[in-house]
Amino acid sequence: MARLNDDAQWIVLMGFLVSFSFFFLALVINQSTVVGQTTAESVIEFPKNDIRDVRQVIGLSVNDPNLPVIRNDLTVLSMNRKGSVLQYTNFTNGSATYIQIHYNNGVTEYNENWSYL
Amino acid sequence: MVTRNTLSLNDRGVSESIGFMLIFAIVIAGIGLVTLYGYPLLLQQQVGADEKIMEKNMIVLQNDIKSLAYKTVPYKETSLKIGGGSLTVYSSTTNPGASNLTVYDSTSPPNRYVMNFSSGELRYESVSAQTDISLQNGAVVMRPRSQPGSTMLAEPRWFYDANTNTMVINLINITSSGLMAKEGIGTVQMALGETNYSYSSIPAGTAMKLDYTPDLTGVQNYSVAWDSYFTQTLKMPSPVIAGATRKYQLPTDTTRPATLVIKRYEVIIKNL
Repeated sequence: MARLNDDAQWIVLMGFLVSFSFFFLALVINQSTVVGQTTAESVIEFPKNDIRDVRQVIGLSVNDPNLPVIRNDLTVLSMNRKGSVLQYTNFTNGSATYIQIHYNNGVTEYNENWSYL
Repeated sequence: MVTRNTLSLNDRGVSESIGFMLIFAIVIAGIGLVTLYGYPLLLQQQVGADEKIMEKNMIVLQNDIKSLAYKTVPYKETSLKIGGGSLTVYSSTTNPGASNLTVYDSTSPPNRYVMNFSSGELRYESVSAQTDISLQNGAVVMRPRSQPGSTMLAEPRWFYDANTNTMVINLINITSSGLMAKEGIGTVQMALGETNYSYSSIPAGTAMKLDYTPDLTGVQNYSVAWDSYFTQTLKMPSPVIAGATRKYQLPTDTTRPATLVIKRYEVIIKNL
């Protein structure tokens, strides 16, 4: 007696599953054109090394007798090379020396106060 | 004569040819609907995707210019796909400027720090979406071609530092040896040209002014985008409008001595 052979129904089922997954993949790919800033761009924008360089030089220069000249040079250099505003002051109060650093390149503004005895 | 099985379905009204015609009509109607309504929708989405991709591409090019100008990288190269329109470089030297800027102070006669600066631009003109996206003076701006108005997609790096009362204006001048345009897949090669840097101390009581004049032919008018950048982001007071020119006051504190820093960068588009 002839009987319906339905052993391979799973092939049809897999076909449906694959086509639906393609549909969702297409939706995901469609989202890739969305405009935005990527993480890599933000990392490039952040002037971490510029700030570290500036801090190091300021730390070396605070006890220099030519401090006003160095300060002016640093301000001009940082504006010329990095396009950033840099201002730093140091003053002593008793035996402690205080240093205030202000750095701004239009994207990141950085302020730091430190003191040592 | 074949006797009919009385237990079977009553199928005397069933005809193979009518069934075929019904199924065929449904298939043709389906194809017709997809062609008439589905295909235009698909095309429209393609146009939208092309435009979005170009918005992203222009921001990538702006990042290249940022690397050239602020990171002192000498040369940059980017490959991109320009779909649905063309990318053209308008050099500030060979073409009438899209807009121009003048910076001066409130003394009389005024000291002029920047005189009629015209930036040049990289412009994507979409044929299908009817929009223009322009990379000018370090900013990415966009306008629909059929109606007035514009918007800024990415801002230039101008800033005011309140601690030191310093206004920093970065002017980016795009030049090329000639008019170049590209469609399809292309490589934009750009190099840093001359840079120039001026540092002016402004005494207390002197205000600094900025005049912005959009494209004099009135076609490439991005004044709305720049206006919202000046007034919203840089917090300049609303401009005084004199003809086509908009006169702004820079946001420095006039009760204290101020510093005006103007940096000019020339970006040479070597090839497109």
